Amino acid sequence: MNNLLNFLIKHVSWFVFMFYVITSCVLLFRNNPYQQSVYLTSANAVASTVLEGYSSVTSYFNLKDINEELQQRNAALEMQVVALKNELANVKLQLPDTTHVQPVVSQFDYVVAHVISNSVSQPYNYITINRGTADGIVPEMGVVDHNGVVGMVNVVGEHSARVISLLNPHMKLSCKVKRNGFFGSMVWDGKDPEFAMLQELPKQGKYQKGDTIITSGYSAVFPEGIIVGTVESVSKELSDNFVSLRVRLATNFMQLSTVRAIKNKMKVELKLVESKDEKSANTKKGG
Amino acid sequence: MTKNILHFGILFIVMVLLQIVCSKILLFDLATPLIFIYFIIRLPMNLSKNWVYTLSFFLGLVVDIFNNTQGMNALACTLMSALRQPVFNIYMPREDDMSNPIPSIQSLGTGVYLKYMITLVVIFCLFIFMIQSFTFSNVALTLLRALCSSVLTIVILFGIDSLMSTRREKRL
Repeated sequence: MNNLLNFLIKHVSWFVFMFYVITSCVLLFRNNPYQQSVYLTSANAVASTVLEGYSSVTSYFNLKDINEELQQRNAALEMQVVALKNELANVKLQLPDTTHVQPVVSQFDYVVAHVISNSVSQPYNYITINRGTADGIVPEMGVVDHNGVVGMVNVVGEHSARVISLLNPHMKLSCKVKRNGFFGSMVWDGKDPEFAMLQELPKQGKYQKGDTIITSGYSAVFPEGIIVGTVESVSKELSDNFVSLRVRLATNFMQLSTVRAIKNKMKVELKLVESKDEKSANTKKGG
Repeated sequence: MTKNILHFGILFIVMVLLQIVCSKILLFDLATPLIFIYFIIRLPMNLSKNWVYTLSFFLGLVVDIFNNTQGMNALACTLMSALRQPVFNIYMPREDDMSNPIPSIQSLGTGVYLKYMITLVVIFCLFIFMIQSFTFSNVALTLLRALCSSVLTIVILFGIDSLMSTRREKRL
């Protein structure tokens, strides 16, 4: 017993060392980004305060470019409003008074947030925003900016949240080609922050350079039709039946400033229906 | 003693804050300065191993928290801190004649200190980029990145060192 104690005391630094190595390996190789404590991410109170102070200085650097992008976006939306107004007026002229065009209740709502920390050079990139549970942010909300899709909320603190960037292989986004409606899943290949791969598209579709890629709306995270990017080139996959597209991302991840987290008002109901479906499927299987 | 604790406490915080800024830098798509390990390099040589491991691990963990790189810096820091003493012994075999146990240009002389610092920085950068490239294996690019980051880090650390030493000389 004495010998054992002596041995332990003699080599205690070795055990301390091994303890730290194993702890960090556990952190490193725990691949699921969802089961993380808030305290170990940049969404914790101390880290977000420091990062917010830092970003209050750096957020001014890209304002000129961002402003220009916003102006262009604004102009495009204004044109769209004019076109839609004309169309609506035409429809109203053609239809008799009794059948009014019904206003549609919007299923989605937005929370505006500022990016306080962002990376593009890591293999797994994350974004930190300055809104949290106090502002109605919950995990698995979609995040977009004025150009296109940014990512998905992942870990939420009280006044800050961590977002999985689209530049992160953990993020798989269901997208479709706007022109013909074929859909696949978008994954970042870890190389260039301007490009991602849209995989598992059926072979029979015709894809051209310049085709617009939009969100499919099959999950409750993003509404249908948000721009993701444009096709840069088409390449064959290993199996014969699929092709993958190299997509130039619409979002400029180097200059993220203000983003919007999308609140889906019907998410709870959708989840409920889905879980009911699963349950009934299970019982059918069991029976 | 208390003065040393205070000194290293401040150094810890300053290094973490500087690293937040440095982590955003990516020079030529290759080099990122990793200057926070300056804290580990400067820890007194007579500090017990347990303390060195503990401080290194937590330094890495704090940087990880800010960068959202779960455990990557913590692992590399702990591994590097274990190699600190052996590297030091290679360049400085007689350790009993050190009046000041904190490694610096004054206490070791420029040549020995630079060799010690450069070796540790290169080791750390190799560790970090090897851990990073578990998922994306491109050996040549990984080595190039490690090398470029090492060079950039060494240059910055040398700058910090000369700043600190000139200030101290003036005070004397």
